[in-house]
Amino acid sequence: MGLWSFRGGFAFLAALMLMLLVVGGSSCVFAADGTEGDARAAIAEAKNRVADCYRAVADAESAGANVTGLLNALNEAGMLLSRGYLAYNVGDFGSARDFAVWCSGNLTGVVNEADALKQTAIQERYWDFMVNVVGSAVGSIAIVCGGFAVWFFLERREKSRGNAK
Amino acid sequence: MRLKAYGLIFWTVVGVLALLVASPALSRILVYPRTEFFTELGILDANHRAEGYPFNISRNQNYSIFLGVGNRLGYCAYYVVQVKFRNQTQPAPTSFGPIEERVPSSLPSLFNITAFVADEEAWELPLTFSFDYGYNETLSQVEFYGLTLNDVVLDMKGYTINWDSEKRGFFGNLFFELWIYNREISDVSKFQYHGRFVSLRFNMTVWGLS
Repeated sequence: MGLWSFRGGFAFLAALMLMLLVVGGSSCVFAADGTEGDARAAIAEAKNRVADCYRAVADAESAGANVTGLLNALNEAGMLLSRGYLAYNVGDFGSARDFAVWCSGNLTGVVNEADALKQTAIQERYWDFMVNVVGSAVGSIAIVCGGFAVWFFLERREKSRGNAK
Repeated sequence: MRLKAYGLIFWTVVGVLALLVASPALSRILVYPRTEFFTELGILDANHRAEGYPFNISRNQNYSIFLGVGNRLGYCAYYVVQVKFRNQTQPAPTSFGPIEERVPSSLPSLFNITAFVADEEAWELPLTFSFDYGYNETLSQVEFYGLTLNDVVLDMKGYTINWDSEKRGFFGNLFFELWIYNREISDVSKFQYHGRFVSLRFNMTVWGLS
């Protein structure tokens, strides 16, 4: 019985150690694979985010917004993404992931800010058009029409004065 | 009769006033439209001049230049500048023909520099670089180990330059190809070669190396 329990305990310990080795080994494999996968996923996400932000900023700029600040943020993020690509290519997946996450983090709120600037620019452009184009065109037409009106009024008054004399 | 005598003055004043009030609208209409859309790519030396570029290169010595991109495309552009190195026998980007038909070098990029440039704006990046290389006397060639570009270490293992017996030197080119992000195409990468590159020609000095 004692021998059985000793054998059983030994077998249990051996099985436990084997299990730990297998689990440990496989987790190491998974960790290495996961790090590369994580890096790849983080870089892909950062790349998409940079592209999304660029599209939003370009739209804001074409609407007439001043996007200098947003372009600075994009340039910084672009450099981080480049560093991420470089680290990934040399197999430094941890750094690659860190750079990609840093890049994505730097772009938080850029799309919203670009959209807000775009809306402001659209409104400003509308009022600019109304005042400077429509307003000035209507104003100049009004001056010409007013000139005619004044001229006819003065002419009529002169005629009526001439008739009275 | 008296009113007609003042007619010319009256209508002149009305006309000038009308033109003054219409000037903001006229300034929008009478602007000559932009007809040329292009990108400028250039390199300046450490003193911001187009002279005194580094030529004779020593191992691990720092050299400074400025890389500039000017955007005249009519929209905010997303550029990538691919940094490449070639010896005299390796393919260079094409320099002749219509710019749309020019092709980049088939060599791999050592590093990609990203630049977002607003329309009618210029972007400039100071670049400090140094080469780490050795001299293989047996093969009479320079063998590169790395390029440090703005504190980023780039692997250049496998890059070599053979002795040019005619010009007596180890000559290589560090060149910068301009690529642009195209929003219109549905390609995965969306980056297209923009037909422009700038290049620096180097003579890698080997005194004291073995």
